Amino acid sequence: MKKIFNGLFYGLKFLLLVAAFGLTLFILIRMNMRLNKDITSIISEFVPFAILLILFFVNILFKQKNISKNLFYNLTCCLVLSTIIVVALRSLLDTNMVLNEKYGYGVDFNFFDNFIAYIKIMLYGLSIANIFFMFREKEEEKVIVNKKPKKLKKA
Amino acid sequence: MKKILLEYASMLAFTITGLVFGLSFFLLFINFYHMEELAETVDIASYNDTNKASVENKINQIKNNISVYEQSNYQGSLNIYGLNTVKSRLENCVEIIESDDMMNYFDLDQIGINDSYNFTLDFRNKILNDCLVMQVTSMINTDTVESLPNFNLIKPYIQIDLDNLLNSYNYVQNNIENSDHYYFTTETNKTNFFDLVEDSYTETMNNYQSTLDLLVEISNWYRYTVIGG
Repeated sequence: MKKIFNGLFYGLKFLLLVAAFGLTLFILIRMNMRLNKDITSIISEFVPFAILLILFFVNILFKQKNISKNLFYNLTCCLVLSTIIVVALRSLLDTNMVLNEKYGYGVDFNFFDNFIAYIKIMLYGLSIANIFFMFREKEEEKVIVNKKPKKLKKA
Repeated sequence: MKKILLEYASMLAFTITGLVFGLSFFLLFINFYHMEELAETVDIASYNDTNKASVENKINQIKNNISVYEQSNYQGSLNIYGLNTVKSRLENCVEIIESDDMMNYFDLDQIGINDSYNFTLDFRNKILNDCLVMQVTSMINTDTVESLPNFNLIKPYIQIDLDNLLNSYNYVQNNIENSDHYYFTTETNKTNFFDLVEDSYTETMNNYQSTLDLLVEISNWYRYTVIGG
């Protein structure tokens, strides 16, 4: 059961990372277009996404079981990325937010803007935790030696 | 030594993951709570019926009071320019109050946060700006109106009421606009202090009724002035 959930969260975190990144990119580009600001000014907002993505690929490349088999870490990744997606979707689709209706930009920038700091905190937190998990002591692999059955000498 | 450092690294990793887990869990569920709170609808059918009857009653009172003066039939000695000005200004206000935009709110059975907000904006734009500022404030500063009997006695009271009413919408409007931001309210606060949808609507409705009361008072003065003069 634990293996099934772990596998599920491990695969899901990649999909959620792509979705969270895409939605954040869309909202921040819209925000910058409205303010007539240079697109390069939002690059710093995506550094934590890039770091996390690189660390995920490092985990795959070096087959780091400390992370790939860590249910708590994978669950936290999914929870963080789901939160980012929920907030992004709310700032796009929640028509009960009056400033969204009032300004008519189609995105509630005020709401999303409040959340940018939390996004950074959570993503940097996951990256740092990922790096620390890499240094965990390797479990000694038990080598099972299959002893060949001795042939009985013919008397 | 190496083993201890590795143990510390592991402990730090789990601690950071735990803190991030807590923060994201909190933010995710406060989002659902916030979403639910903004989606709240309030049944105001009976409240609106009572207020509609009161508004219609006050409008009829104003209409009756200003109908005592007709320039063509007037035999008195008062300044007819002043009387005409007051009558036309009050008629304009009644027209604004009776407009479909304002009366449509009384037909609502249920309201959401956007209805409360739109009501506050319409109250500000139509009742406060178009009626109180454009009609009443400009009327009380007219020389011909100031020359009417007893106007100087009621003018300070009108001025105080106008000042109070013109500042009355700020809190409600700002409060609704700030609802898009995270705020950490509790059920106790919500029930005791300010329920965003219902209390905003009620607060604006109270100010709306106060505006009508002011107009009724002015029309009462007008009636007695015309009859007396």
